[in-house]
Amino acid sequence: MSENMLCSKTHEYLQGENGKYTVGLTDYAVEQLGDVVFVELPEVGAEFKKNEVFATVESVKAASEIYMPISGTVTEVNEDIVTTPELLNEDPHEKGWLIKIESSADDTEFADLMDYTDYREELV
Amino acid sequence: MTKQTFLHDKHIALNAKMVDFAGWHMPVQYSSIIEEHKTVRENVGLFDVSHMGELIVYGDDACPYLNKLVPQDITKLVDRKAVYCQLTNKQGGIIDDLIIYKLEDKKYLVIANAARIDEDLNWMVRNQRGFNVNIINESHNYSLLAVQGPKAKDLMAKMGIENLPTFFTIKRAELCNVNLWISRTGYTGEDGVEILVKNEFSELLWDKILEYGKEFDIKPIGLGARDTLRLEAALHLYGNDLDENTTPVEAGLSWSIPKNKLDDYNGRTVIENQLTNGAPKKLIGIVMLDRGIARHEYDVYYNNEKVGTVTSGGISPVRNENIALAYVKSLPEITIDSIVQVDIRGKMHNAKVVKKPFVKKNNKG
Repeated sequence: MSENMLCSKTHEYLQGENGKYTVGLTDYAVEQLGDVVFVELPEVGAEFKKNEVFATVESVKAASEIYMPISGTVTEVNEDIVTTPELLNEDPHEKGWLIKIESSADDTEFADLMDYTDYREELV
Repeated sequence: MTKQTFLHDKHIALNAKMVDFAGWHMPVQYSSIIEEHKTVRENVGLFDVSHMGELIVYGDDACPYLNKLVPQDITKLVDRKAVYCQLTNKQGGIIDDLIIYKLEDKKYLVIANAARIDEDLNWMVRNQRGFNVNIINESHNYSLLAVQGPKAKDLMAKMGIENLPTFFTIKRAELCNVNLWISRTGYTGEDGVEILVKNEFSELLWDKILEYGKEFDIKPIGLGARDTLRLEAALHLYGNDLDENTTPVEAGLSWSIPKNKLDDYNGRTVIENQLTNGAPKKLIGIVMLDRGIARHEYDVYYNNEKVGTVTSGGISPVRNENIALAYVKSLPEITIDSIVQVDIRGKMHNAKVVKKPFVKKNNKG
């Protein structure tokens, strides 16, 4: 799945097309966080601008704010990770997704997103 | 320049996640904080705590000198016995919390927090006048290993130390042909020992303890689990739960203040006044009722009024709940079973005041 994934510098990923996307945290981000013990997600219907905080993920050590990679409206949240936060550690790119959004973002909002390979290279 | 313990290469070889802590490059976790936490509660864990400070205080006046620095009564310490105590300023505020061991007549070992060694030494030197006493900072010569957990005793027996020192005592011992100090102390709420050894032997001991520990399911434990373990045991962390504006009475440490001590000590007037008339704030333990984790510096409310601040908070892997320590105004109505609120990112979350510690301690051997 990581082939068609776009990643932000703040370690969120975006997957999908035609205005419908899934947003999550990259495997690298989750690895850095360690054991995820708490996830707070927005309400369905909430609207966020690009770079706005939409969720909080807490590891044993600290709380981290999660930013929108592009603007959009929340259409679905992953209830499974609210009850089972360790899904985020086990499978961040599939079962551990955070929210689904609808977005009418134009190309400028995508300009600073990288594909997964570039993102991983940027890290080293 | 970040300092490294003599076990730094071992941590890197074990693929530990490293962080800067109190000026040291230390392992925060090797595998998973929760797994490491459970290892110490159920089996046994090995910690590198060599960043801690070791000060030797000796001389004819060593006893009366230390007695002036802490509320505890150092005159009551017999050889090889230890006490938990606080280095207090003139206002009764806590400069550091310490364990003082009486090694022999007129000679004491003081274990200090890594981040506080300079402040401690500064204060100790300022209080030295009139006392025939020497203070040596031995921190850079010694490594400190902690072996903690219900199986620590069996592991030590396997390695040849059958007769461990009793709770809060220290003795000389030999482990793998290395002479060292071993004490029955720790910072986890579990039974266990701390081993003080010259730096050059620390790697050998680290390896041997892990090797002998295999049959007891030992794991190396990082600072992350050290923090969750001490929080569950409601043991204070200097800088979070203790500081120079907080007295031992406010911190819930009155048990470590003997009332009939003969010698005067720094801060005695304030401390005894608080013991008699009450202190302005008190440390409480809370368990979150609503979903959310109370963290350091989050505000605490009671009846819609801000009454205090969380100083340490996180998860309790054993209770499977979120727990915290918080200072609140000394209102009599805030007591065990009271409901308070924690402001988590702008939303009020209910929490219940509970007895400390959060889990039963099993550290008396």
